[in-house]
Order: sequence, then C-alpha cells, then structure tokens
Amino acid sequence: MDSSNVPEFTPKHGVPPRLRDYFTGASSFQRQLASVRKQTPFGQTPSRRKIPQCSPLQENIDPQKIAFLLHKQWTLYTLTPMYRFSYTNLKQYSTLLKCFLAAEKQKGLAVEMGEDFNFKVTFSTLSGMKGTHRDPAAFLIQIVSKSQQSSKNAEDKVVWTGWFCCVYGDSLLENVPDDFTCLPLFLANGAESNTALIGTWFQKTFDCRFTRLTISAFNLSWMAAMWTSCNMEHYGTATELLWSVPCSPQSLDISYAINPEDAKALWDGVHQTPEEITQEEVDLFIDCLCSHFHRHFKINLSATRLVCVSTSVASAHTDGKIKILCSKYLIGVLAFLTELAIFQIE
Amino acid sequence: MGHSSVIGMDEIVAEFIRRTILKIPVAEIGKILRIWNFIPESQLKTINLKQCKENVSQDVVELCKKKRASMKEAAILDIIYHQTCQIKKIWTVYKMTKAPGEEVDLSDMEEFKDSFKKVLQRALKNVHISFRDSEDTAVWIRIAWGTPYMKPNQYKTTYMVYHSQTPFVFISHCRIKKYIPELWQALMTAGNYHKIQQMELRSLYLDSLKAIVFKQYNQDFQTYCLTSLEEENSEVEIVDPRIIHENMKEKERIQRVTRETFGDYVQPRIEFAQYKLETKFKTDPKNGILAEREEPFRCLVKFSSPHLLEALKSLAPAGIADAPLSSLLTCIPHKAMNYFTIREK
Repeated sequence: MDSSNVPEFTPKHGVPPRLRDYFTGASSFQRQLASVRKQTPFGQTPSRRKIPQCSPLQENIDPQKIAFLLHKQWTLYTLTPMYRFSYTNLKQYSTLLKCFLAAEKQKGLAVEMGEDFNFKVTFSTLSGMKGTHRDPAAFLIQIVSKSQQSSKNAEDKVVWTGWFCCVYGDSLLENVPDDFTCLPLFLANGAESNTALIGTWFQKTFDCRFTRLTISAFNLSWMAAMWTSCNMEHYGTATELLWSVPCSPQSLDISYAINPEDAKALWDGVHQTPEEITQEEVDLFIDCLCSHFHRHFKINLSATRLVCVSTSVASAHTDGKIKILCSKYLIGVLAFLTELAIFQIE
Repeated sequence: MGHSSVIGMDEIVAEFIRRTILKIPVAEIGKILRIWNFIPESQLKTINLKQCKENVSQDVVELCKKKRASMKEAAILDIIYHQTCQIKKIWTVYKMTKAPGEEVDLSDMEEFKDSFKKVLQRALKNVHISFRDSEDTAVWIRIAWGTPYMKPNQYKTTYMVYHSQTPFVFISHCRIKKYIPELWQALMTAGNYHKIQQMELRSLYLDSLKAIVFKQYNQDFQTYCLTSLEEENSEVEIVDPRIIHENMKEKERIQRVTRETFGDYVQPRIEFAQYKLETKFKTDPKNGILAEREEPFRCLVKFSSPHLLEALKSLAPAGIADAPLSSLLTCIPHKAMNYFTIREK
C-alpha cells in the first residue's frame, strides 16, 4: 500500500469538507472527486474518507424492520443502472418474476425454490436506506415458500432474500439520464442458483448487468480501520484479521484477533485528523499490527494476503461477502460498499 | 454386561454393530472384520461387499446373531474401527508424574488393566470398559459411560491410549466430562503415578502427537528426505557463467538456517497452533504509538493448515518470513505444545 503512487488530491478550498456539507447536498468535495475520477485515466481511490456517521435519514428507519438485515451473510454484487424501472410497478414485477421463476421451475432449473409451485415473490421498498434524498429508495425482494399444509399454523419460510440500495451514490447519479434508476449495490442471501435466475430476469427486463463485487485487500484494510474507529457502547467481538499465506504445497491461514478495546486504543493512537480517516492512518494502523506480529513470529504479514476482516460493526470477506452486526453504523457500511460498487462499475 | 436376552443377541448390540459397520468405509470393512476375528472366515466370504452399505451391515448383523455377539465383542469391534480408520476426533495429551523418590514401576500391562478396571468400577456404577492391545506396546482403553440409573451409553465413549513405562496418555473425550476425576484416579492408581496434568498439545492426528511426545520424528525419514534434497540442488543449465542468481548467498543462508531449525525430516503433522499474546505493544520508536501504555496488547493468534509444520518450514525460503523463524513456532515439536500463552518477561 505505497501511498506515494496515488496522485495527491487536494480539495480546491484547501480545507477538509465540513460535517455540515456532508449532509446538505452534493458537497464540493464529492463533485470534485467525481470530476477528478473522470479525468484520470486510471480509477483513483480517495486518499481520505469521512468517518462513518449516522445519516439523518436513518432516524426514519424502524430498527425492528431492518433487524432481519443484520447478522446475516450477504453476497455482494454490483448492478449497472436499470432502464425504465418504476417504483409504482412493484406489484407487477412480483407477478412477472413469479411467472418467470415458475416457468424455470417447470423446466427443471429452479430447484431451490421449495417443494412445489407454492411460493410467493414480494417486492417492497425499504425506507430510510439511503444517504441523501437524491439516493433512490432501496427495495427488497423476498421469495417465500408456502407450507404444504393449509392449516393456519403452517409457517412460511423465506427461501431467498435480495435487496438493492444506493447510499451516497452521487458520483454515479449525476451522470445518468432520467430513464435510469441507479441502485448499484445488490445484496443476496439464499441459494446461488436462485440469485442467478433472478439476476437473469432483471438483466432481461431492465437491461442492466450484475457482477460479483470483490473486495481487495486494500479496501479490507480500510474497513478494518473505519470500523475500528467507530465508537461502540459495547464491544462484542474481537477485531479479527484473517490472512492467507501463499505457500505451497500446504495452505496456511493466520487468524490475528485483537481485543477490541486494545484495537481501539491503537487506532486512537494512530488517528490524528478529526472526523476523517486518511490513507496514511490506515497504512499506519495496519503496519503497527503487522510489526507487533513480526516482533513475535518473524513473519511478514504484508507479504501475505488479507482475506477477511471482522469487527463488532461488520465482517467482510474478499470474495464479496458481508455480515453487518450493528444497526447504528449500517448506513456507514452501506455507504462504503456503494462506493466500492460504483468504482467497480465505472 | 448381562443384559442380553436368553434366546438371541440383544437388539441394542445388534443396532450398535449395524451402526458401527455403516461408519466404516467400504474398502476397510473386510479388513476390520478379519482383525476382529469374531465371524469365521468361511462366513465372511459370504458377505457381498459390493451391495449398498445398508445391506452389508444387515448381513454382518445376521452373522453376528448366529454367534450371539455380546456388547463385549461389539466394543472390541468399535476399538478396531477407531484404530484402523482416521477418526476425526481431537486427541489431548496428558502427562503423569511420579511422586518424588518413587521408583520406576515394573508392573506389567495386565496388572495395569486389572487395577484400572477395578478402581474405575468401584468409583462409578455402570461403566463399560474394554481393552485392546496395539502393536506398539500400547493399550487402547474404551469407556462407555452410564449413570447410577442408566446402562452405559455405547455411543458416548472416551478413548484412551496408554503406552506402558511412559508417563503419557492420549485421550479423545466424548462430551461427558463429569467423570474425569474418577478417570484420573483410576489411571494414576493403576500406573502408580502421583499427579496428572494436561499438556498444551492437541491434534486430530494421534500418530503425530506420539511422534512429537516420544521425539520420534527425526528417525525413519532421513533417507527419504536426503534424496529429495539432491534433486533440489540440481540447477537448470546456466548458459553464461557470469549470470548468477541474485542474492545467492542469502538464499543459501536461508536454506541452511531452515534446515538447521527444522531438520531434514518430514515434520509431524499437526493442523493448528494457538498463541494468546499478552505482551506490551511495541513499534517503531519514531512514531511513539502507544509508547506509554503499560497494559498488555491482548491478541489471539491462530495458525491453521492441513500440515502446519511443513507450511511454516516453507515460509523463510519463500521470502515471507525471516530466517531463523521465531522460536515460538519452531519449538512446537520440541516443547510438545501447540497452545501457548506469551507474557511480557
């Protein structure tokens, strides 16, 4: 992570963006970031980011309604803007998707849908899952398998869940014509064959494209720093980093779990800039952890591959899987993921 | 055991034998039945091993019924299964010590078994104990646990392997932990020991644990490894003698140091090592981060690999670690530990 290779970027005003700007609209920082991205031939990642904060819109979220999003493992995808998608047609989409899935099941393809054709597809909006008012509303699809018995006690089982969202997606929203809806982040939980089928339907219906979102070791280290910096009342889980060592013929995995209070103390020692996290701080945080490790084991973790990061806020795997553990920072986590998704699309 | 019915074989025994056979991989069933030596060879030949396992196990049960197998014989079958197949169970190592001044015990294995059985059965009602000797002068002890009101549960068993004249016992526990004190007492009385202590050494591979504990890992494999080293040293033809390998000296030093630390032999196989670190945080004095912090920086580091020691051995030559590797890692076989707590000195 040699930060000298990243071209230096300074905001025009020479002053770090203020907290107020972050919420009142597309701040000059973000506009400039977008324009810089367009000008540079290689994609550029920002050298500084805001510390995850609660969005004012998050107050509208009913914590009980989103509780089912937490503590679940989601597979991440990026989605290009959808053509002629309308929030008023959600009911029709439910029916159309259900017919499509039933047809595929008849062909023998949709095997994970449940015992028979007794399943239900629901589209619903998720209120409050956005950063600013300009972000399109998030929506959720659930496939529910209805029980065979007609008795009242029969429980419906949720077989598959997927949701689309866009949190602080201004850099993508600006450049997109009106007919398109931008929800670049897609999260799925359930059988992968179902995800593939639903993806196919979306691609045909809205002329968009899904791609798996992978998280590089570089971005995982940002996550480690950002989530360690979050103030929690109660630290449930250790801050754990999982490294995979490319040695042959045997694989070797190293799990390095730090007591969460000690990890926070280390971060507080590294962190200098108020309200922001810089690339240098992330690098220093990871370097400190690696050098403490090296002191004991004489192994250079920087020569290995960081594959998984786990904290009390969330845990993420390089294959593009995430589990969010804390509702307070849900929007912050989604904001970073949205940024990664947009970056991968562009 | 005395609970078999007068007429035929107990249904409980039949079911146990049936389930045990189902666990055995098809390729090993014939071998294990022959070692068991309960069903005569002429009848064994009648079993069709090519049919589905359900039918194979039914056939075996039928043959056992003819000979009226009891739980005693079924337990031996279970032991043979565990001895032959690589069972996925964690083995823990315990070391017993004699009281100071005690002489080396000269009692033989039969006395040990008798004494062990007597002591344990006196302490606990309803335990079913079976013994089977293995080739390397060890005895396998199988214990099925019951309660004062319930017959022993043959599916909840503890296995112990004890080598006579050594202070080591290898134990694979089932979930029932409350009779451990009685187990220790029986072991120590029978072996004439004074104290027992759990070692910080655990693995799925019993053979590796034995190799580490009995320090046998540097024999038997030397000839194999010497030949493979010779192949390594034959380089690709160099066209121009002025072209040399960069950092040749350093590479050779790393190879030499690695060989000195790990030896030339194949390492005993363990799959993880865990370190609880409670040392102070220390980093580059220039940045002074956490320099004044007195409390330890608490971490838990876990290394896992299908063959951990071989993987660690390859790190320095691959450039991922310094040579010599930290003694915290290289001491694993010598210290016979793979669970460590490291504190500030």
